[in-house]
Amino acid sequence: MTRSPVKVLYIDDEENNLLAFKASFRRQYEIYTANSAAEGLKVLENLQVEVIIADQKMPLTTGVEFFKSISDTYPDPVRILLTGYTDISALADAINHGDIYRYITKPWNDLELHNSIKNAHDAYRAKIDLRNKVKELEKTNDELNRFIYSISHELRAPLVSVIGIVNLVKMEGLYHSSGEYWELIESCSNKLDYYIQKTLQYYKNNKNLSDRSDINFKKLVDEIIDLYSYTDRDTQFNLNINQPHPFIGDAFRLEVILGNLISNAIKYQKDTEVHKIVDINIDVNLYSAEISITDNGLGILNEHLEKIFTQFFKTKNNKGSGLGLFIVKEALNKINGKISVKSSLNQGTTFKITIPNAN
Amino acid sequence: MLIDDNIIDLKINSKIIQISKLFDEIIQCQSAEEAISYFTIHSKELDKLPNLILLDIQMPEMDGFEFLDSYKLLPDEWRTRCQVVMLSSTLDFGDIRKAEANPYVLKLLKKPLIPTELAAVFRANFTITA
Repeated sequence: MTRSPVKVLYIDDEENNLLAFKASFRRQYEIYTANSAAEGLKVLENLQVEVIIADQKMPLTTGVEFFKSISDTYPDPVRILLTGYTDISALADAINHGDIYRYITKPWNDLELHNSIKNAHDAYRAKIDLRNKVKELEKTNDELNRFIYSISHELRAPLVSVIGIVNLVKMEGLYHSSGEYWELIESCSNKLDYYIQKTLQYYKNNKNLSDRSDINFKKLVDEIIDLYSYTDRDTQFNLNINQPHPFIGDAFRLEVILGNLISNAIKYQKDTEVHKIVDINIDVNLYSAEISITDNGLGILNEHLEKIFTQFFKTKNNKGSGLGLFIVKEALNKINGKISVKSSLNQGTTFKITIPNAN
Repeated sequence: MLIDDNIIDLKINSKIIQISKLFDEIIQCQSAEEAISYFTIHSKELDKLPNLILLDIQMPEMDGFEFLDSYKLLPDEWRTRCQVVMLSSTLDFGDIRKAEANPYVLKLLKKPLIPTELAAVFRANFTITA
């Protein structure tokens, strides 16, 4: 594969050095020279240089000063500093502020300089390649986000219309007019809607952005209970929320975690139970929030406990999608939370979670 | 006034509102542009203005938020007589936040439209006109 030769800019106030450099390297590289920082800048303005070599000791602007001055405007070219004397403070300055790739003493050794230019060029390529890859990834990510957005609308909108029609049928008193058909349509539509919502939750959770918002647990839990308890008005909620400290966390993920756990606690009650109870305890300290959610519902078989957090795990007589707890676990992973579960069959289940306070 | 590009939703929602008996008359618009031209035609007749606009978010050409940009240019008197509730099936956080942050939006209702939710908005905002 033939590639265009590496473009090297060499800046030095001593004409002899420029000539010597050209003589040694003109066969390997495309060389541009300048006898001052200002001249060097002119070259940079006109073409894309890949490696810059600058002499430290120049009148007006030193090599390090030059590198510093272009660090924002031309961050890409890889820099090599040449200096005729070993000046520790210049060296320290170069490393700390000049973003220097190599430091070479004068008079240079051709082989050493040649290798340095070669390595510098590799570093340049790696930098550019990485940036292109990042750009590509951002584009893919962007497309994925748009895709998710369009699922959330295009796929869900007609479904929501169907649910709307079923509501109308109910309002007009026609719900029982065709045997159980309307009921079946409603339950299928609700199930499909549930899957769409969970899938979206899963994908949103997968995006790495985590936000830092001020969380008021009392408010959050009240909203969630409001949202889910309309399906079942007879559950009694005992809230014990103790939040003496502010809590900074990821609002979306907390909502997903608590939402799924609380809706499960409501959903998996015993039909025969007269006093359906869900206890929610939240203690917030400076370092974390300790949350426990206990129900007196169906409970979970011991042999199932390990599998409940795996994707698409369902039990025979359970009406779930096998996604809820899996999403809870994934969301907790993203925010470094922990979860544990205790359950006894027909007695109830307790989920305990710990979420770090990013305060 | 209902603004929605989806004819089925327009039908469903106007039926729901009709059954709820909260409003006397329903104006259906299949696009934000149609709503705006309604306002232009009836600009001299304040009594022809709807008391409430139920506004969909995602619509082709002019979407709900773009409609709000035109809405906010209306005279104050119109805007107090004719308030906006957004109605959408969106689950997108960006849309939800944007709608809730908009000072001209009373509330964002989710589709399907639940009569009790509409009634709650009605009670909260239309005690005098009712």
